[in-house]
Amino acid sequence: MMEIKHTALAGTLESSDIQFTLSKGTGVEVNLDSQVEKQFGNQIRKVITDLLAAYDIKDVTVRAVDKGALDCTIKARLIAAIQRATDTKNQPNWEVLG
Amino acid sequence: MDIRTLNLKDPYYYQQWQDLIQSEGLFIENLDDITETLGIYEDDKLVATGSYYENVLKYLAIDPKFQGGNTFNQLVSTLINELANQNIFHIFVFTKPQYQQSFVYLGFQVVAQTEYSTLLETGDYSIEQYIEELPKVSGKNISAIVMNANPFTLGHRYLIEQASKVSDTVYVFVVAQDSSLFKTSERMALIKAGTKDLKNVQVVNGGQYMVSFVTFPSYFIKSRSDVAIYQTQLDAQVFKRIAKALKISKRFVGDEPYSPTTEIYNQSMQKILPPEVELEILNRKAIDTDIISATKVRRAISDSDLATIQKYVPETTFTFIKDNLQTLLRRINDGN
Repeated sequence: MMEIKHTALAGTLESSDIQFTLSKGTGVEVNLDSQVEKQFGNQIRKVITDLLAAYDIKDVTVRAVDKGALDCTIKARLIAAIQRATDTKNQPNWEVLG
Repeated sequence: MDIRTLNLKDPYYYQQWQDLIQSEGLFIENLDDITETLGIYEDDKLVATGSYYENVLKYLAIDPKFQGGNTFNQLVSTLINELANQNIFHIFVFTKPQYQQSFVYLGFQVVAQTEYSTLLETGDYSIEQYIEELPKVSGKNISAIVMNANPFTLGHRYLIEQASKVSDTVYVFVVAQDSSLFKTSERMALIKAGTKDLKNVQVVNGGQYMVSFVTFPSYFIKSRSDVAIYQTQLDAQVFKRIAKALKISKRFVGDEPYSPTTEIYNQSMQKILPPEVELEILNRKAIDTDIISATKVRRAISDSDLATIQKYVPETTFTFIKDNLQTLLRRINDGN
């Protein structure tokens, strides 16, 4: 299991991007703020929770402010936030990335 | 478009920055309350700027031609990332009510608002979390006092005692700001030690929500009196929100005949708090017409005048001062 060691941020608030703030929590909690919530809210949440599961992260509070990011952007930003929050920037998880 | 750090000590940058800030109707208070300033340039023209002090965003201004587009998002986002690099993730912004929505759109949440200004926050902490962490009590008459207690005197003791007599529980919110001579942890410990016999007193940390730099900068930085009015009203709104969650129905304050800032503060509270929260102003305790104040105690500390200190503070505070006199004197010399 991967542990969130400290709060970390990745991404921006610019158009077509998403900003993630990961902090310590109990269980997986995802707070999503998206302008396309109605159409894609559940899809975005699924991308987030699937990726957290792939990294075996069980306790985390995720804040996501979405500005219309595509799935690949969401994944890239979340991976960056996870690596920062778990202090594994130099040990990429190839299985997940592949 | 490129983003640069602006060195405001350089007259070239300062002039551009000042022009933009003033054209957007912002008032420059004090450059000492800025940690860093960023600017967005289109060619050689500064079109947007934003600064921060600790975890507070300020002086955000955008050229009208670039408003309503991505420039604002880029500016705020860059500031948030800059603070994240410094491991600061809980961020506040003070703004005019008409810009509230733009920040909400970027994931900020409103902490409190008045007709003149709004306080918003974002990141890994929030006022809801703060409220959740506070001890909850039951009872009918729940009251509150907010104090800095720098350090805890017989005057503070008197105020808490009066409140304690007429309340089921008294929350004492301690201003969390380490710019005081006594550190927050020391001030909290001295209040706890000095009120140990009063069983219905809950001493809690005021966090960033009680008369802090965030909600109340002019308390620490001298500024124009209307700025003080805006800020004290906002502070009172923040208090009201916390009071509601804790079922606090009364707030006690000591009167302050000599401080105009405190006078404005009390007036603002009188305007904002009722009817939900009643405000009661208590007279300061005096010893032979000599009003007790923490300022006098600090002055006596810098004079190493233990006899005077003993007159104004409870035994617990006195012992602490006596045992730590050298440390305190060093802090005074270091400019605290």
